Amino acid sequence: MGVFALRRAERIRRKKKKVVPVTKSKKKTLNNEGSFKVAKAKSAGGFYDLHYKLLLIIPILMLVLAIAIIGFQVYKTGDFIHRGVSLKGGLTITAETTSLTPEQVLDVLKPQFHGVDIEARSLEEAGRQVAIIISADITPDQKDLVNKFYLAVQKATNTSKEDLSVQTIGSSLGSAFFKQTIKALFIAFLFMGFVVFLYFAEENKSKLISSIITLFAGFFMYSSSSLLNFIALLLAVVLVIIYVKKSIPSVAVMLAAFSDIIVTLAVVDLMGIKISTAGIAAFLMLIGYSVDTDILLSTRVLKRSSGSVYDGIISALKTGLTMNLTTLAAVIVALIFAESEVLTQIMTIIFIGLLADLINTWLQNAGILRWHLESLEKKKGVKA
Amino acid sequence: MSLKKLFTNWRIIVLLIALLLSLVAIHPSLSSDGVAIRTVIKNSSAALAGMQSPAPNSPPMSREVILSINNIPVKDVASYNDIVKSFKPGDQVIIKTNRDSYILTVKENFKIVTLNKTEKVPVVKQVFDNETNQTINVTEYVEKPVVIKESLGAQDLGLIVYDRPTSNIRKGLDLEGGTRVLLEPEKPVSDDTLDLIISNIKERLNVYGVSDVIVRPAKDFSGKTYISVEIAGLNKEEVRELLAKQGKFEAKIGNKTVFLGGHEIAYVCRTADCSGIDPTSGCGQDAAGDYVCRFRFAITLTPEAAKKQANITKNLDVIMDGNGEGYLSENLSLYLDDQLVDQLRISSGLKGNAITDISITGSGVGKTKQEAVKDALANMKKLQTVLITGSLPVKLKIVKTDAISPILGRAFLKNVVLIGLLSILAVISVVVIRYRSLKISIPMVITMVSEVIILLGFASLIGWRLDLAAIAGIIIAVGTGVDDQIVITDETINKERASVSLSWKDKIKKAFFIIMASYFTTVVAMIPLWFSGAGLLKGFAFTTIVGVSIGVFITRPAFAVIAEELFKND
Repeated sequence: MGVFALRRAERIRRKKKKVVPVTKSKKKTLNNEGSFKVAKAKSAGGFYDLHYKLLLIIPILMLVLAIAIIGFQVYKTGDFIHRGVSLKGGLTITAETTSLTPEQVLDVLKPQFHGVDIEARSLEEAGRQVAIIISADITPDQKDLVNKFYLAVQKATNTSKEDLSVQTIGSSLGSAFFKQTIKALFIAFLFMGFVVFLYFAEENKSKLISSIITLFAGFFMYSSSSLLNFIALLLAVVLVIIYVKKSIPSVAVMLAAFSDIIVTLAVVDLMGIKISTAGIAAFLMLIGYSVDTDILLSTRVLKRSSGSVYDGIISALKTGLTMNLTTLAAVIVALIFAESEVLTQIMTIIFIGLLADLINTWLQNAGILRWHLESLEKKKGVKA
Repeated sequence: MSLKKLFTNWRIIVLLIALLLSLVAIHPSLSSDGVAIRTVIKNSSAALAGMQSPAPNSPPMSREVILSINNIPVKDVASYNDIVKSFKPGDQVIIKTNRDSYILTVKENFKIVTLNKTEKVPVVKQVFDNETNQTINVTEYVEKPVVIKESLGAQDLGLIVYDRPTSNIRKGLDLEGGTRVLLEPEKPVSDDTLDLIISNIKERLNVYGVSDVIVRPAKDFSGKTYISVEIAGLNKEEVRELLAKQGKFEAKIGNKTVFLGGHEIAYVCRTADCSGIDPTSGCGQDAAGDYVCRFRFAITLTPEAAKKQANITKNLDVIMDGNGEGYLSENLSLYLDDQLVDQLRISSGLKGNAITDISITGSGVGKTKQEAVKDALANMKKLQTVLITGSLPVKLKIVKTDAISPILGRAFLKNVVLIGLLSILAVISVVVIRYRSLKISIPMVITMVSEVIILLGFASLIGWRLDLAAIAGIIIAVGTGVDDQIVITDETINKERASVSLSWKDKIKKAFFIIMASYFTTVVAMIPLWFSGAGLLKGFAFTTIVGVSIGVFITRPAFAVIAEELFKND
């Protein structure tokens, strides 16, 4: 994990350094398209400018690597994330003690059991505590761990065997939850791509067709019939093909949001973080942050009144980096001062997601936009 | 900068009104001493003194708060319990709340102990004397075991209290904790049946109006299976009644079952026109002086169930009653959990015809008419819930009920507020460095803080429970708010942008194009989350949609106006 994050940090530093000098030299060469490429190659430090196609490899590699990591995780553990006790269920021990608080018990237990997600809450009757419930994500087949945990709880709560009762408790989200979430995310991405398509595509006929297909795909995925779900998947493929043909920016935005989530998921898996229900909320938040920067980029590039594609990207970059930096600053502050595991988990996921978004927006989305638009301009040039 | 121009701009006025309404809705309180009443237990000393339970969904700040007992001020739940501990049976207790003063008498708790001794006890029986043709009282002596009443000391006053709320913001299970119920199925069940029971319980609670609930299976090492239910916002009694009822509802004519609850009932009326207190029978008083109110609500059967009923009724005879009206020889008997709850006469005109609309009735009691009405409506709601969701496959027994503490308590909230303030500082620092202007931080702080207040105000107004997902939604809304403000700033104020030739209005338009595109994309992404799975995703989607909407339509336009005033003439 350490190496992974370090590499990414290096990339960002490298990228930032290259951007600044380019701006100054670009203004001098803002003239006709013909001498563009030559002028660019001449400007010093124009790495970001010149080699945008090469830089595209970074986010694509990242995405492929991320999918591989998740795939490996599924192969090894049967699940695509590490689940904490609130998602997975586990062992609960109810200890009848009135003198200790849950926090005190947690302080004693946590250092003894690294890597185990432990929660403790108090049970009260008539306003007074009667017991503490301690939950840990230990499965019944881990017999040694179960025994060790039981003895540790007994000692930590200062209770005898009669005052302890042990149970295994199931997940609080239900088995259908993940399936439903993935379906919902699928529909969310469809709708997102559709809205971006509406905003940035030119042809009205394809807008009409894609709206009908999107609606159908959404309904089919929402139903519980597997056949309809499969048809929805096919419709989605059709939509992506339409978008690729008619409006690459839509595909780029969808891809960026998708990559953000997948890459963050992979990093979280590598770090071994045990996701709680809070963590799931954090993943969903990434959609919102990712969309903001991508739409900004797409607008500044596609709806620009003057200047080259590259100028559009640079103007978006300035605004966008400020946006990312403010959020990063807030998240770093939160990470430093957060006292609860829940907040720390949310902020960690957002932090990783933002770093991934930096790469996916400014290297991947920007690269795709530029490639597409400049090849369009080239075609026009040839035709003329 | 002209302050007058600022305050007459309609966007600013809208912002100020929204802020004001939100503060009123949140109703933050200055004092935090006292304990609020969650429930008054029936037939307890408190109930007899006239204290009443609050209405189920009343705003937190409207709850009755106990300020002192016997002139000793009550600070929190712990001090309340300390004071109450010292009472003895027969004590007079004066409870002063923020509404009224009540005088309670402490009742005594008894334990009936049956001894091994027996004694002769006189029993009076009524016997019909054949000789005198009269019923006379005969006294017999019967051997009965000796019972003594052992005093267990003072009975609890019957008040369930909690720390006084400081605002109308309702907190969910994550933040406030709630009631935990451990249920055990009467018979051993398979895992599939367990899943069925759990989803039925969840549905039942959702229909009843409670969505903040965690239901999960639990097994102990001897193989016994339990179901653990954690609920916020319901008291123990309500939970008990909702969950302990198997909810087996049957309508029979004679011995034949006509329809069952659940999917054979197509529609259960819950609106005012066909449900509520029965207008024809209303409320009255019974022999003991208690009030009784009757309720009724209409249900519609599915065509199949109605047809089944028609098949049964066509073979029945018609009987004429005293008024010359014809009724069928058998009644429609309604059973809930094998107990007869109602009998309906079927008019002869319906013989052989499918009846699809049936009216279900029941009643509620109370010491005052108001209480009786409340009780009747509560019973009606429970019955409606059971009919809508159908019966549980197996009867459940309540093993334990307690109050469970939240996963994230007060310390968490304090931490969140601290982090919120520090984050605002961090954001402002980045902004100041970037734009090299301290002035820009003023409208940004105003906007950020306003968004949070208005969002919380809206949540308080509609009674939304703040849980972890809601907090995540708030963070996202404010985060995108900052992003949007930066977009606006860059389009309008930033001198580095080449478009100085455009008017201020056009620049704002460009900025809002980006903002609206982001807005719609985000909202559209949240909509499928809103409709899928309950609990977590719904809460998050809702707060995000509401949050960004408040931002895009109220606070960020106001920000643009303030920015214009501050920087236009720079």
